Amino acid sequence: MRLPARFYTIQTVAPDVTEQVIRTDGLHKAYGGVTALDALDLSVPAGELYGFLGPNGAGKSTTIRILTGQLTPDSGSAEVAGINPVAEPVRARERVGILPENGSPPSFLTVREYFDFVAEARGLDSVDDRVARWADRLAFESKLDTLCTDLSQGERQKTLITQAFLHEPTVVFIDEPLTNLDPIIQERAKQFFQTYAEAGNTVFLSTHFIATAQEMCTTVGIVNRGQLLDELDPRTLDEETLLDRFFATVDADAAAVDSAAPADSAMLAGEE
Amino acid sequence: MVSARYLFDQLFREEWRLHARLFGGWRFAAFPAFLALLAAGTATFFAMAGSETETLLAGLHVVVALVGLQVGSIGLVGRDALGDLLGDVTLLVYSARTLPVSERRLLAVFVAKDVLYYALLFIAPLVVGITPLVVLGGLSVELLPRLLASAWLAFAFGVGVSLLFVGLATKSRLLAALAGLAVVAGVAVRPAAVVAVTPFGLYTDPSAVRLVGSLALPVVAATVGVSLFEFDRAGQTRTTRNQFHRLTALFGTRDEQGLLAKSLLDVARSSGSLWKVLLSQGLVFGVVAVLLGYLPDILVGVQPSPGLTLGSVLALGAFTTYNWLCQYDDTAFFGTYPIDLAAVFEAKLRAFLLLAIPAGGFYLALGGVVFGPSSILVGAAVYVPVSVYVFGVTAYVAGLRPTELLFDTPVFMLFSGAMMAVLLPLVVLAVAYPLAPGRISLGATLLAAAAGLFGLVGYRRAGPKWTERARTGDL
Repeated sequence: MRLPARFYTIQTVAPDVTEQVIRTDGLHKAYGGVTALDALDLSVPAGELYGFLGPNGAGKSTTIRILTGQLTPDSGSAEVAGINPVAEPVRARERVGILPENGSPPSFLTVREYFDFVAEARGLDSVDDRVARWADRLAFESKLDTLCTDLSQGERQKTLITQAFLHEPTVVFIDEPLTNLDPIIQERAKQFFQTYAEAGNTVFLSTHFIATAQEMCTTVGIVNRGQLLDELDPRTLDEETLLDRFFATVDADAAAVDSAAPADSAMLAGEE
Repeated sequence: MVSARYLFDQLFREEWRLHARLFGGWRFAAFPAFLALLAAGTATFFAMAGSETETLLAGLHVVVALVGLQVGSIGLVGRDALGDLLGDVTLLVYSARTLPVSERRLLAVFVAKDVLYYALLFIAPLVVGITPLVVLGGLSVELLPRLLASAWLAFAFGVGVSLLFVGLATKSRLLAALAGLAVVAGVAVRPAAVVAVTPFGLYTDPSAVRLVGSLALPVVAATVGVSLFEFDRAGQTRTTRNQFHRLTALFGTRDEQGLLAKSLLDVARSSGSLWKVLLSQGLVFGVVAVLLGYLPDILVGVQPSPGLTLGSVLALGAFTTYNWLCQYDDTAFFGTYPIDLAAVFEAKLRAFLLLAIPAGGFYLALGGVVFGPSSILVGAAVYVPVSVYVFGVTAYVAGLRPTELLFDTPVFMLFSGAMMAVLLPLVVLAVAYPLAPGRISLGATLLAAAAGLFGLVGYRRAGPKWTERARTGDL
């Protein structure tokens, strides 16, 4: 079912599909003794709706935080929209939109004030028209003058989705964007994300919802233990579902780790 | 049905882990010893200064009762308030809706756990710490067990009263306010009669009736409070006009990213609104005013400069203003926008000055009315730069999470040391003020100015420091 055009009408940018908008090379990050990213290589061209799939602790959020200049890697390099987010984190965040997982809008601003704050922070002129469009798209017109602390979880999520797109960035990182949304709004949001990518922008979607990724994404990257294990176009899958492919990939990785462990032990024993 | 004992054990362990996490793991084990040393130092200081032992013991009972009031209220006022204090935490006491345990039963066990937990780890060390009074103040060793028992009961008294008022307030704030007024009126009209029903009355003049009263009062108050408490209060949805836009228009280029406007609205719209800044400084003023009034009696011949004392201590009290300004901020939030943390601290400093200077100025002016205007100017000259010092040190040491990070003992000691390094010389100068008012005013002003410059350095370094910490994942 296609929704009315007003829900997903956006400005089109000419996509250069040869341009790699997001790129990482040998990205490594550890927290204490725990490795979050292990030589992660990513390459996402313009105009993609790229699904980043992985189990808990696979390194998805760490990757997004590095790509948006919130976190410094231990080694490796990254580039987003032609900017090195490690060297120029604030400039990188000027260019991209970010919907963090488990984020929350500021408690004591109203929804409208929060969008004004985002506009100020991003140096935008009046965003009233854009806010009105988003309020219509995600159905929160009646909440615009409500303090964010008094919003429901779903209303907070709508607010956060809006702020990520308010400056109409060419690259957007969205982490579990459909959480707490009702089915109607989920559908509108999904169609918007697809249309946004079709218009030449890049949407980097991190999610646990495999069906969502299969339905929406143009490319899916399966990540586990901080490594990119597989990359595919879910639209090319026939009998096999993305869920099958995901389990097969992650299970094979787990089996490889298990089989490597005794070999390592034996090698160590031999060395002794 | 799950046993009360099982719930108690789980809640007790949760409380231990919460504190251990806040204080930095094993360091929490040393906290009772730290409290005992703190109490011992305070008792020794006042005893050597000639204070009455009876006065100090009354003070101990007041302190532990206040701790009880705080402990009793924090668990009940809800997870939002706890979140404001500690960050994102969910305690078992809030899990009744997902467990086959009634909220009231869970709350009763929670309160019992709090009383025992704090009695052992916080109140007992304070009583142990007061033992120097045996040598210095003529306190009989035989009285120590009674003192420990009455201190525990005073703590339970505070918890019970707190629960009673919170329970009353959930039914009717007016009722709670009237009950509070009745207590205040009782203390004003018949102080001796009120003290007699408190555990301090039991300590000073033990009798079977007072023992029963001291034991029954907390239990009755807590039982009534818990039974009155309403668990499922529907929150009111608040709407308001766009004041953010008006503020950013007012500040213009001085607030290009709207950070100052956001900070001010956070304080103005959270509980207590802007009045909390004035009220918290009012408490500081009240304590200093009482001390200034009674100090010549406690420490014979000492008459410190009111202006210099007020200016110094109010500046230290401005820490609470910094706390209000950061209470709803999170480094991760700013990390999702093109906002440099240095700009956040710059906005915080501006907001801090906008709030702290009028509040401090008001109480300095009030001090001028109460104590005379002679030294108020030097107080004002000291207040502003020392406030900047407090801001800079706090921003550098604790970043945007002053409450949470100050639970970390080494960080707290660093912060305390930095505060004492400036406050102690200023207090000494305030005491010496009558000897050479002109020269001491000049010295205090120069010291405060130097501290203010140091504070500015701390403030300037706070942005890069906390950006680095956030980006390495060390927050």
